[in-house]
Amino acid sequence: MLRVVGRRLLHAAVLVLAVSAACFVLAELVPGDFLAPARLDPRASAESLEALRARYGLDRPLHQRYLSWLGSVLRGEMGHSLAYGVPVAPLVLGRAGNTLLLSVPATALAWLLALILGAWGARRPGGWGDRLSLGLGATLQAVPELVLALLALLVAARSGIFPLGGMASLSAGELGFWGRLVDVLRHLALPTLVLALALVPVLLRHVRAALSEALEQSFVHAARGHGVGELRLLLTYALPAAAPPLLALFGLSAGTLLSGSLVVEVVMSWPGLGPLLLDAVFARDLHVIVGATLLSGLLLVAGNLLADLLLYAVDPRLRRPGATP
Amino acid sequence: MRLRAVSVLVVLAALAAIVAGRLLRRLPPPPPAATAPAEPPAEALVSPRPPGRPGGQLVVALRAEPRTLNPLTAADNPSQTVIWRLMADLVHVDRRSQLPVPALARRVTTSDDGRRFRLELRRGVRFSDGHPLDAGDVVFSLRAYLDEEIAAPQRDLLIVGGRPPAVRRLDDYTVEVELAAPYAVGERLFDGFAVLPEHRLAAAYAEGRLASAWDLATAPEEVVGLGPFRLVRYLPGQRLELERNPHYWKVDAAGQRLPYLERLIFLFVPSEDAQVLRFQAGESQLIDGLSGANFAALEAGAAARGLRLLDLGPGLSYSFVVFNLNDVDPAALPAVARKQRWFRQLAFRRAVSLAIDRRALAEVVYHGRATPIATHVSPGNKLWHNAALKPPRRSLERARALLAEAGFAAGEDGRLRDAAGEPVAFSILTSAGNRERAQMAAMIQADLAPLGIAVRVVSLEFGTFLERLFDSFDYEAAILALGGGDVDPNSDVAVLSSSGAHHLWHLGQPAPATPWEAEIDRLMSAQMTARDPAVRRELYHRVQELVAENVPMIFLLSPNVLVGAHREVGNFAPAILHHPTLWNADELYRRAPAPAGGR
Amino acid sequence: MSGRRPALAWPVAVLAFLHLIALGADVVAPYDPAEQTRELIWAPPTKLHLVDAAGRWHLRPFVYRWRPADGAPGRYVEDTSRIFPLRLWSGEAGTRRLLGVEPPARLHLLGTDGLGRDQLSRLVHGARTSLFAGLGAALLAVAAGLLLGTLAGYFGGWLDDLLMRGSELAMALPALYLLLAARAFLPLELGPAAAWGLIVVLLGLLGWPPAARLVRGVVLAARRRGYVGAARGFGASHVYLLRRHLLPPALAVGLTQLVLLVPQMILAEVTLSFLGLGVSEPTPSWGSMLVPLTSYPVLAAHGWAFLPALPLVLTVLSYHQLASAGRQRLRRTA
Repeated sequence: MLRVVGRRLLHAAVLVLAVSAACFVLAELVPGDFLAPARLDPRASAESLEALRARYGLDRPLHQRYLSWLGSVLRGEMGHSLAYGVPVAPLVLGRAGNTLLLSVPATALAWLLALILGAWGARRPGGWGDRLSLGLGATLQAVPELVLALLALLVAARSGIFPLGGMASLSAGELGFWGRLVDVLRHLALPTLVLALALVPVLLRHVRAALSEALEQSFVHAARGHGVGELRLLLTYALPAAAPPLLALFGLSAGTLLSGSLVVEVVMSWPGLGPLLLDAVFARDLHVIVGATLLSGLLLVAGNLLADLLLYAVDPRLRRPGATP
Repeated sequence: MRLRAVSVLVVLAALAAIVAGRLLRRLPPPPPAATAPAEPPAEALVSPRPPGRPGGQLVVALRAEPRTLNPLTAADNPSQTVIWRLMADLVHVDRRSQLPVPALARRVTTSDDGRRFRLELRRGVRFSDGHPLDAGDVVFSLRAYLDEEIAAPQRDLLIVGGRPPAVRRLDDYTVEVELAAPYAVGERLFDGFAVLPEHRLAAAYAEGRLASAWDLATAPEEVVGLGPFRLVRYLPGQRLELERNPHYWKVDAAGQRLPYLERLIFLFVPSEDAQVLRFQAGESQLIDGLSGANFAALEAGAAARGLRLLDLGPGLSYSFVVFNLNDVDPAALPAVARKQRWFRQLAFRRAVSLAIDRRALAEVVYHGRATPIATHVSPGNKLWHNAALKPPRRSLERARALLAEAGFAAGEDGRLRDAAGEPVAFSILTSAGNRERAQMAAMIQADLAPLGIAVRVVSLEFGTFLERLFDSFDYEAAILALGGGDVDPNSDVAVLSSSGAHHLWHLGQPAPATPWEAEIDRLMSAQMTARDPAVRRELYHRVQELVAENVPMIFLLSPNVLVGAHREVGNFAPAILHHPTLWNADELYRRAPAPAGGR
Repeated sequence: MSGRRPALAWPVAVLAFLHLIALGADVVAPYDPAEQTRELIWAPPTKLHLVDAAGRWHLRPFVYRWRPADGAPGRYVEDTSRIFPLRLWSGEAGTRRLLGVEPPARLHLLGTDGLGRDQLSRLVHGARTSLFAGLGAALLAVAAGLLLGTLAGYFGGWLDDLLMRGSELAMALPALYLLLAARAFLPLELGPAAAWGLIVVLLGLLGWPPAARLVRGVVLAARRRGYVGAARGFGASHVYLLRRHLLPPALAVGLTQLVLLVPQMILAEVTLSFLGLGVSEPTPSWGSMLVPLTSYPVLAAHGWAFLPALPLVLTVLSYHQLASAGRQRLRRTA
């Protein structure tokens, strides 16, 4: 087990190098640089722009820029944001925390809903519960997440129950711990719901398919013949049998915790990684892009590793000595 | 099994840690209590507006976070919006009258040859930390702005006659600035140059760190200025809070020290729609940069909600279609080079211009809240607009006649062909982020169809768009907008002069490519040194005539400046110059008692 | 619980209907999808009447013209002074349309968009882009995912490591940035066919890693089942094992993923168009018709702007049903 984790850590290091190098090369290929928008500034002359370019080090060759970035990684800075003029690590880490605060509960909620609705549908295929979840899922899939988020804002505006985006009230600083907790939860409610609703259809279909597959297997039929209760049948017989694709899916959804909530964050003014990354891409703020990308890349690796470990944990056969992970 | 339990525990623990960390993190401690404000300076500037009521706060949403608080390097809109609430300049262009008025300099005298300006400072003025202002700060600031290493975007505005001006300190309260050549802009020149605190920044300057000073990680009490407000705290991704500067140098007619507002809060709200909803719900009290559609949506029920929505008429920005007349390499870009045969013909450009229905563009895309324009100078520019030039009205007959004269003819299939028989078709580049211009492009496409011209719309991300426009020249036509700086003709030099950085239709000309471009060059340099405003206006009107006659760009519309405020905001006096609603933040006040802490 | 076979008739009928409409768009659409009626911006759906304003019944359904409401910009009321009967197969020879009304009235059964274009016509024409490109991209992604996922799961070892780390790399790269770079290498203008191919290829390339991960998980587990080991013990070949025991469960997961990807791909096409990589104005697509909904004034004022989402819902439902049937068949063969 430790060997697996150790090897994956090594792979992660390789991934970091590969992704960061790829980002730097891509940055060469993508037209325009950080100073391109300044060209529309009526005040700045071409000479001033050249001077700025030199100051930001944008005129240096690719490999030099990459090496100096690697150096700053070793210093724990992860490079320097051109837009904000500060090291990337604190900038990105702070936002990543906010994103997780939103995406972890949303993903958990989505899985909960998917498991409940999926089990319901798989038990009675073609029943009204199955049809309802299928119809709702299809509708949610046909409405872009952006529209869903805007609808939620509209509901908030009309009802007045929920705040119109943001993470905290202006007065939150003066509240006590519980006051702040309630305040954050109130701000969390709508974005979490929207994000969960956007995630549910995909999870639900896979859960439904895997479970109905498992329920068809002979040992489940045998267990039912032996009088095993429905709930126990689902939890202890069908769910483990349905685990392989679901665990892989779980790994994937854990891996997209940082990158999956971009749209919701932008529309609901959530101070997460999403708006920062989007801004950075359009502003060509390379180090921020690389920093945010690497962070979500590492989470992806971690998610997949977790999925594989869980897969071994669930399926004892895979743990036999000599089994290649 | 054990492993599963462990991993579940790890995930839960991580989650709990994150949540707890978020919640327990307290806001930075409040800054030390404002030092008891001394008497206003003897030479305080008296605001002409009716006295208001002190106290309360205003909340304003920003589309993006400011990137820096350093006036020397700030180039983006949000940064400038914040910075100019913290800083002040020597001479200020009044945003309503568009004329320069005294600010930190109580008087400016210009020498007879127009090269030397003597700036006399107001006495008794203090920075927001209580440190007195003197001529040394002004000299320090101008030196910083002129420093090539720092490369402030405003630097080029001060380079007159090819050389930076000489800045001299005459006494504690007088500074002389000597330009290398006479300059018609006059004292207006000094608008937009913040006076910086030498006592705070001298060390950073000496160490060559001035350009990177005052970023968002700087401690709030370090950011010291002469503006109406000072920094309290910055919460990344959420908001930035300013408080009243107790040392501000303006008073109202009743002798009360400005500003009235206790706090000014900038919320970061990336989506325009979310901004509108928040404004509507009363979570923010001012809004600017509204689209026509959002303006219309807010108008419904505005009175009941206590919103004041104002259409200030055309602003300074102008949208246009530009044809690629650059010198391109026919081997590298054969299609573009071939089509330039059409683009270079005045008749062709005029015909396209005549075929576009500008009124329909304004109605459909901007809900009627945009104004058709004839040249780059919109009617919003009160001082310089040449009202004799009317925007072209759509006339397909005249367009067809022009095309026929130039040898174009519609074929059997209805498609227009040039003399050589090639069907006329070109693409218009738009930048994807701007929904309005994309819509305009789609409408122009439909407008040109009856002439038999096939237009394709190519939408690109902004950076990619600019690269094609400025560097690779791999485009045929493009739709974009410029302008929005100052009203003075000199702010358009970069577009008009044949060697200018924004001479978009034909960049990098070694010498003027056409006689009319040469004439515009001559007129522009003549107006730059003309001391008599009437002569200058005449010269600039002639420039506008030349632009209208030769259609280097097909000018479309100037979007109206649309703003809104809640009724309880007093002294609300929006203007089309930047910043439309906050330019007089020092005079704004809350009519009703503000709810404690806001919503 | 088991044995109930998912109905096949309706999904096949719905999909056939949608595809037929897409192919016959020129005739089915009442108008040219690019035609702009600038007096009718965001006009609501034209109402079909049988009873006129005076209370008289008519055999043939008819419509009234919209005219701008007085004093309420952007709103329309019916002009009841004249009735315009609905006409089938009208127009001149060569440009006949299935449905229409006599000008100056206009038939906008789903209303108009922000440029006064007929939504129904755009929907029908947009089906060409969206139905085919969405399915094409999803197929490409899942096919690649199936192939690579099966290889990784079956052979394991270094091949598994290589492929899965490759999938992580592909997922970790910033897609937006990748697309921007791709755009730089393409010519300024893309023809409709090139744009279509580009959508399929780019979205397919971006969509394979999740499919591969899912398939690999299933194959990895199936490989360890007792009967697979037994079959291998009897000297079964790789091909036999793959086909007989490992491909069916992999295909089942692949089918689910395929159906889930179709709507995602249809909506993702908008992002590509945004970056100049997809279809361009005025060519409609289902995704681009939903874009106006992302602005608050439209969402708040024109509820019927949601109607273009309906065919997408129908498509997704039909594909889901087909996939269920497909999985059941796989189960029986396994």
